[in-house]
Amino acid sequence: MNRADVLAEVKSLLATGLRLDRSPSDIPDDTPIFGEGLGLDSIDALELVVLVEERFHVSIPDEEVGKRAFASVSALADFIATERTR
Amino acid sequence: MPVAAVTGLGAVTALGPDVASLAAGLAEGRCAIGPLTLFEHGGRCRIAAEVPDLPASASHGLPPATARRLSRSDRLALAAAAEACRHAGLEPPERAGVAVYVGASVGGMHEAEAAWRRRRTGADHRWRLSRLVATPVAVSAAVVSQALGLFGPRATFSTACSSSALAVAEAAAAIGRGRMRVALALGTDGLCRLTYAGFDALQALDPAPCRPFAADRAGLSLGEGAGALVVEDLEHARARGARILALVLGAGIAADAHHPTAPHPEGAGALRALRAALDAAGVTPEAVDYVNAHGTGTRQNDAVEVGVLRTVLGTRLRRVPVSSTKSQLGHTLAAAGAIEAVVTVLALETGLLPPTVNLRTPEPAWGDVDFVPVPGRRQPLRIALSSSYGFGGHDVTLVLARAR
Repeated sequence: MNRADVLAEVKSLLATGLRLDRSPSDIPDDTPIFGEGLGLDSIDALELVVLVEERFHVSIPDEEVGKRAFASVSALADFIATERTR
Repeated sequence: MPVAAVTGLGAVTALGPDVASLAAGLAEGRCAIGPLTLFEHGGRCRIAAEVPDLPASASHGLPPATARRLSRSDRLALAAAAEACRHAGLEPPERAGVAVYVGASVGGMHEAEAAWRRRRTGADHRWRLSRLVATPVAVSAAVVSQALGLFGPRATFSTACSSSALAVAEAAAAIGRGRMRVALALGTDGLCRLTYAGFDALQALDPAPCRPFAADRAGLSLGEGAGALVVEDLEHARARGARILALVLGAGIAADAHHPTAPHPEGAGALRALRAALDAAGVTPEAVDYVNAHGTGTRQNDAVEVGVLRTVLGTRLRRVPVSSTKSQLGHTLAAAGAIEAVVTVLALETGLLPPTVNLRTPEPAWGDVDFVPVPGRRQPLRIALSSSYGFGGHDVTLVLARAR
């Protein structure tokens, strides 16, 4: 899976996995995941960790890694793409 | 008990998404019990009074992430609560001290059932917090106060089918004790598989729309909804110029120490609750003008209830109309007490008696009782009772009065 595929998959995971009221194509690459961006909260964060692990077999071991990985939609795609090539 | 004022009403029922549609449906004698569509049920009964077009998007100022995870019960509660606050003219600055007293029984059970199915069928490989976070029964009270900015005392009562009658009674009592000046008392319960299967297994469901007080009554019909009342210290209501819709004169709370589901055969708890309510209100049986009955349509409930009314009201019963709102809305369980209190306040305000529908042939032994045939009628009322009886013998009677 190349990075573009991962990015598309991440958007789909956010929209359908978290039941957001928007379609994957309406999510710009640089959207922040929390706060003003997608409007997700701490409960969604826990959920997203599970979804990412389940879908991509990539684990987010702690808050530090989480902050970096969840900075934006494209940051999450980068994190997943890098981890999967390890 | 000091008198409290009712200054706001809210309701989401199978007759419609607000009090106006409820009032119109009651006046038309419409029965809102129809096919069960919310989930599959492989049992002997397939009908329910479902709330149409649930306001899924109405988040009333909640953050989107919170709004997305509301349960059916939460959304019903929020819509009714917001309507009641609006109706009472409670603006944000006045809302800060408002208490939230909720009667509820299933909470987010419908959503928890869906989460369990997804996990079991493999649609979810792990338990998902967002699908379970609305499960606890106290969540509805929390989302209502979060959305509406209510920082006063908060409690959730769960006494089966009298839960929200108890919430109204306790709100009025706490106002009387000076704990707060204004309380939002509400009841909410969404339909779910657990409730439906449980009542069906108990053979308590009539496969046809329920027929309270009928000779051939064969059980209850399940419904869902929410009802909300702003209950307020009378002087506080007058001082802020609120319109007083009705008065809570008193309440009686008692128990059947008898059985998990069946009422006490002589209605021991129901009798105590009714007598205690009249005592607390300082009202004699002769002064009672109307009874909004629990009236589920089961063989036992209706027989015990009429017996209790006969014992307490005596010969007055012949001149007191008694009707069952459950014949129109189904049994909304923990929401029933608050919804029926709303219906009773409407009857006091407008003098329009809600009918008992689906009642062709009343039980012969009760030929002297006026069950308010369709289409109901106009009859000015001064004092009305609303009774709610919960499984396990949780009995509550409210005494309400016209404001003027």
